[in-house]
Amino acid sequence: MNITFNKRDPLYVQVIRYFKEQIATGAFEPGEEIPSRRELASKLKINPNTAQRAYKEMEEEGLIYTEGNNPSKVTKDIEKIASVRQEMIMEAVDAFVHAIRPINVSLDEVVGLIEAKLNEEQEGRK
Amino acid sequence: MTNFFKLLRFELDRFFKLYIVLIVVTIVSQLAGLVIISKLYMRRAREEIVVNQNSMESFLETYGQFSLANLTHSLWFFGPIALCIVSLLIYVFFIWYRDWFGKNTFIYRLLMLPTERLNVYLAKAMTIFTMVLGLVSLQIVLIYLEMNLVRLLVPRDFRLDLTIHEVIRSFDYFNILIPDSFLGFLISYGTGLMAVFVLFTAILIERSYRLKGVFIGGLYVAASFFVFISPLILSEIFLPRFFYPIEMFLLEVFAGLIVMTGAIWLGYYLLNKKIRV
Amino acid sequence: MIEVREITKRFGRKEVLKGVSFTAEKGEITCLIGVNGVGKTTVMNAIMNLTPIQSGEILIDGQKINKRSYEKIMFIPDAITMLPQMTIQQAMQFMDDFYESWNEKRAKELLDFFKLEEGNKISNLSKGNTAKINLLLGLALDVDYLLMDEPFSGIDIFSREQIADVFTSHLVEDRGVIITTHEINDIEHLIDKVVILNDGTVVKSFYTEEVREKEGKSVIDVLREVHLQ
Repeated sequence: MNITFNKRDPLYVQVIRYFKEQIATGAFEPGEEIPSRRELASKLKINPNTAQRAYKEMEEEGLIYTEGNNPSKVTKDIEKIASVRQEMIMEAVDAFVHAIRPINVSLDEVVGLIEAKLNEEQEGRK
Repeated sequence: MTNFFKLLRFELDRFFKLYIVLIVVTIVSQLAGLVIISKLYMRRAREEIVVNQNSMESFLETYGQFSLANLTHSLWFFGPIALCIVSLLIYVFFIWYRDWFGKNTFIYRLLMLPTERLNVYLAKAMTIFTMVLGLVSLQIVLIYLEMNLVRLLVPRDFRLDLTIHEVIRSFDYFNILIPDSFLGFLISYGTGLMAVFVLFTAILIERSYRLKGVFIGGLYVAASFFVFISPLILSEIFLPRFFYPIEMFLLEVFAGLIVMTGAIWLGYYLLNKKIRV
Repeated sequence: MIEVREITKRFGRKEVLKGVSFTAEKGEITCLIGVNGVGKTTVMNAIMNLTPIQSGEILIDGQKINKRSYEKIMFIPDAITMLPQMTIQQAMQFMDDFYESWNEKRAKELLDFFKLEEGNKISNLSKGNTAKINLLLGLALDVDYLLMDEPFSGIDIFSREQIADVFTSHLVEDRGVIITTHEINDIEHLIDKVVILNDGTVVKSFYTEEVREKEGKSVIDVLREVHLQ
């Protein structure tokens, strides 16, 4: 577990974003136990209060759940996970569109480039 | 109270190495001194009587009999005593200043202990006091030892055996350290303890107000001294022969108690309200 | 809660603190930040009654400091204050002798964590290890409040990392911590609250997550603004 934090966004927001990424990509599986707030704080080198805040927000959003005194777990709600994934994609697309708008580029050109880039990265991974 | 004793033990431990050195120096110097000066005396006796063919009577007339007074008047005897006195006097200051100026600033620890800060002050004073009493008892034991040793070293005819009181009286000032009455003991050591408290408080004044404190501390010591001797001044200058000796004594005790209480109270105040690390 | 109310402090003619006020809550890490010589250490000393103040008031859970407070609040100065000739074991024994709140189990745990040997003499320890022992002697007390003066200054990077780990562990959990620094970089992710001290007063105090969330600023952004004013 490793996050490179930026200094201007609230840390708890960055922690939540990280969890969403892991959940959306399946790196954190549904029902998987997650670290305690203290373990998280210590792993990420953040204040335990911040870890606590992140967990509280995620719990409210339904990303994680806690039964009794057991460790918290990743949600098993498939729809929820799908919506997180959707949200992550939309965020990325928004950012992308926002970034290329000023360059005035056509849709076909962009799609071609994206395809090429993705293939290239896939090759690179092999 | 237990914290006081823990602090006392701790402070005694800190001085222990140096203390052992003082004890060893005293023992070695006095015993070696006794052996050396008695041998010198006997060698001279042999020379006078065997070589120069003088009578024993004329030798004794010239050189006197050998007694422990010969030892107590020598550097072998009072040298280590002076060394102990000077060391302890220096330690009265060192016991405080080392906590500020030592390698690690230990005064932080002492002031942050969950106990009355006055305990630190009293434990340090009691440390000095215990050390003094320890050395004085050592001296008494040593004198007994020396009284026996001299019997082995010097034949009876050349020897004048002194009682312990005579030994003590043979050495000026010694009866301040080893008074021959309980009252004398109270006066000597009461005054000594009072002086330690006054010096301690003067040190704390300096530690609280630093440079300004040097002057205030000096004034404070002078004022304490003045209060302490005020009954004397009163009777000498203003009311000659007005007080009976016992009244004079009680006034002196009273003045001493005032100075001592004042020192402790001021020390308490400074430690709680004014002290700086 | 530690409440510092309008405290002033003069050294000779120089007014070092001109009415400093702030609070530090239990369960939070409050960072007192300012350039060197601004009086951070003086504030710490004043809280612990190690230096007199001219006016103002300091309350710990609503009470003025007294001998019993030292079982509840501990100050870790920027240099070790145990006697150099003591071994680590003797230093720990000293704490055990005087403090009811000394937690031996935690002391041993910390010793393991820092990988230090009890038999070592304090005067023989490296700079980093001395800093760790200094920290240990405070952290192993079950106190509610911990004050630390520049815990990261002048030590190597690995010791720094170990010490930083302490802040995210159970060792400071639920305690109120005040830490001073002149260098925020190492610890900006560790602290809850920042109190900026400048020219003898508190120029700003804020929660780090709040300025990130509401103003989109990093702690350093805020410090920069304060300095440019």
